[in-house]
Amino acid sequence: MKTTISLSINGKPRTVAVEPRMSLADLLREDLRLTATHLGCEQGVCGACTVLIDGEPARACIALAVTLDGAEVRTLEGLADDPLMSTLKAAFQDKHGLQCGFCTPGMLISSWDLLKRKGALSEAEIRVAMSGNLCRCTGYQGIVRSIKAAADQRPAEAQGAAR
Amino acid sequence: MGAELSRHTEGQGVGASVRRKEDRRYLNGEGEYVADIQVPGMAEVAFLRSPVAHGKIKSIEVPEAYRDQVFFAADINFTKPIVAVSAAKGFKASDYPALTSDKARFVGDLLAICIAPTRAEAEDIASACVIDFEELPAVWDIEVARKPDAPRVHDHWADNVYIETRIQTGDLDAVRKAAAVTVRKSLRMGRHAGVSMEGRGVLAHYDRRLDELVVHSSTQFPHVVRTIMAECLGISESKLRVIAPDVGGGFGPKNNFHPEELAIAALSMKLNRPLRWVEDRREHLVASPHAREHRYELCAYADAKGRILGLEAEVVVDAGAYSVWPWTASMEAGMSAGIMTGPYDIPVYHARAITVATNKSPLGPYRGVGRSGACFAIETLVDAVARAVNREPADVRIENMVRPEAMPYQSATHKLYDSGDYPECAKRAREAVDFAGVRARQARGEPDGRLIGLGMASYTEQSAHGTAEWVARGLPVVFGYEPALARFTPDGKLILFVGIQNHGQGLETTLAQVANQELGIPVADVIVRHGDSSVSPYGMGTFASRSMTMAGGAVSVACAALAEKIKRIGAHLLQAQVDAVTLANGRVHVGDQSVSFVEVAQAAFLHPERLPVGEDPALEVNAVYQPGRSTGAFSYATHACVVAVDAGTGHVEILDYVVCHDCGTMVNPMIVEAQVVGGVAQGLGTALYEEIPYDENGQPLASTFLDYTIPGPTEVPDVRVLHMETPSPHTRFGIKGMGEGGAIAPPAVVINAINDALRPLKVEIGETPATAERILHEIVAAQEARRP
Repeated sequence: MKTTISLSINGKPRTVAVEPRMSLADLLREDLRLTATHLGCEQGVCGACTVLIDGEPARACIALAVTLDGAEVRTLEGLADDPLMSTLKAAFQDKHGLQCGFCTPGMLISSWDLLKRKGALSEAEIRVAMSGNLCRCTGYQGIVRSIKAAADQRPAEAQGAAR
Repeated sequence: MGAELSRHTEGQGVGASVRRKEDRRYLNGEGEYVADIQVPGMAEVAFLRSPVAHGKIKSIEVPEAYRDQVFFAADINFTKPIVAVSAAKGFKASDYPALTSDKARFVGDLLAICIAPTRAEAEDIASACVIDFEELPAVWDIEVARKPDAPRVHDHWADNVYIETRIQTGDLDAVRKAAAVTVRKSLRMGRHAGVSMEGRGVLAHYDRRLDELVVHSSTQFPHVVRTIMAECLGISESKLRVIAPDVGGGFGPKNNFHPEELAIAALSMKLNRPLRWVEDRREHLVASPHAREHRYELCAYADAKGRILGLEAEVVVDAGAYSVWPWTASMEAGMSAGIMTGPYDIPVYHARAITVATNKSPLGPYRGVGRSGACFAIETLVDAVARAVNREPADVRIENMVRPEAMPYQSATHKLYDSGDYPECAKRAREAVDFAGVRARQARGEPDGRLIGLGMASYTEQSAHGTAEWVARGLPVVFGYEPALARFTPDGKLILFVGIQNHGQGLETTLAQVANQELGIPVADVIVRHGDSSVSPYGMGTFASRSMTMAGGAVSVACAALAEKIKRIGAHLLQAQVDAVTLANGRVHVGDQSVSFVEVAQAAFLHPERLPVGEDPALEVNAVYQPGRSTGAFSYATHACVVAVDAGTGHVEILDYVVCHDCGTMVNPMIVEAQVVGGVAQGLGTALYEEIPYDENGQPLASTFLDYTIPGPTEVPDVRVLHMETPSPHTRFGIKGMGEGGAIAPPAVVINAINDALRPLKVEIGETPATAERILHEIVAAQEARRP
């Protein structure tokens, strides 16, 4: 029994028929072929599948698509032209913030959200803020330095943003 | 071979921290992992796995509606079981079938394949099947397995021991008599898992035009998988293509031939239908090859100053239900016992290495194979010796080390350490962690009452193993070489076709740096292709810290030969003498004149009339590399850390963590440092958090990320890495492999630090993971033991 929902994905309106149990991740990956969103645990713990739902970071693996009628979903593919995301990507390359690349999309979305919300950040604050994203390769050092570098590169008003 | 390298670190060659070429696709979410690939007509697979640890399968009932979607061993009875036999005398073989039909031997053992359009529907089918078992008592622990009347994991075995081996070097009786102190220690290292962020996965389909089966697998060694898979399927390797696409972390668990790979390939062949299986996290934790589970009984004989005269060790490893291919069940215990003396000059060493079978998931390689246990054993023992002679562990450690003037040094386990200064490395780590400052801080005490501890641990890491080394291990495949095909395109780009697999190590960049070193070609003009049995020459894959030394060596040899040809062609085009030209920045130079590699490649491929007389057209070289000696290049390191232990809760915080290491010549220091740090993070998981306990029914008690903790950003400290660079005399450029090393020392160094902190309480921890609960338990037990 499928339910038809309409939602915006990466700025494009989509009308899809989904089973009630279908996760947003499966909708994105299997039906819409948006495979930047990775599945690392399917239990909402590892953060690899982090996307933005109505502007807020969310786990696509435990978000049921059927609940997202009218929602705005944005994945890493949908931030390809975003200036802050471009800054983050450049920083992740320069500070060696990735190895196998599997957790990377989730790291980028979570850190993008962090930098949107917060002003100046210490490495310790970044570690706490990113504690919902797991990586098995880097030991986090490169990731933390990448986010810190991207945060420090923002315009002064963004770094001083109210907490 | 060796250290003739002229360093140009400011460029892009060996020694430069070049930013990674492979990052772009990952950062754009364009990496392509098995689960991202779809083939038209593909069905998804869910395995029906055994819910019991040990039981005879009497029947499996499939609901009528699903009869044509569930497949058993009988449906793929043309497959041979996976049999991984060590050449060691007395090794007991296990048949590891694609699907089990007689009895289940661990929770997660494969019983049937369920297929459906989606994974969810396939799981529905699996959960609708009803299995009737005759349950048997579970062999759930080493002690249970070794009882004479224990049930047998494999019915025809006389006992549950895969293999027992011995090492006997030197006169132990003489050492016993001479020793001033005798120090004993019993240790345990818990069972855990590799936990790549991407699980395993397989997608098989048939290519009608090429008449070949194509198997995508998230594996570290696609060529070798092709060999064993063809054998088990009963087809020629020429009819099988194995592709490892982007692989989301390996760490060892993807370095085996898995029954899942065989089952999916076989059923896809049988049905002539594309099939895909994507491992979920629960399957990974329960049924991927597990890591470690070592027990140690150790005895050190030392003089009054703590100089270790002799060592006795018993290593017992729980290798689970089946012997994994190609490593065999004997790997962990054999490697642990075989490297036990580590960086120390211990002349007398007697060891027993025992590997037992239980009703648990099979044990396989995990970063630091065998050595994280060996390091844990010897390094906690060295600390105990220091305590016994009432000396500073750091001093005792350094005094026992192999001296640099003793290199090359033959260890009591017959390893030939090639080069390095182990004491200097330890001293630098001790200094960096501010040894004196920490001791002063301990003496002052903490305002919050926590106990401060300082730990150190050192190890050696063998890499660049050659043919004789692998032959000595008695494995079914001898991994002593690596190929590279270096091929220019007519428009002047260089493609390196290599037999390794890159899954985070940065090899698409570092191998290009080697090409730059030999050819002066910009790294941007070098493309590295790997992970596909139909693309590159046959190669062994990425494991055992081997790819940089071995594939790097092969790329170097191939590119050096290309450089000669390019010089000849370039000199001819420039009308210059061959010995007058140089290669740099993608051009052949003489004086202020030059021609580009594009012009050279065009002459080679499109205009042979422009070539010197007698020069063959084309511009490619196929090379095979073996290190100068088979005995390997040994990296080494000392880790030092400072912890704060809350004696009221058992909670451990790492305040500082320093690594001083020497991996010979570094191709890319940025990548080397990140490999060290990543390894440390995994080792901290082994030390403090990660464990899959089993209950007496053989049920695994950790199966999600909620009950299995891997270190997160707040658990891993900012690791400080110090480099030493002693080139290996045996490898191209003097490179020593180092991919695993970071993971080797953390259990030893953290436990040593915890025990240093708990010394005032007279408590010693001897088990990993040292969870808060375990530490608290030991503290309370010690308090109760002291109560009158």
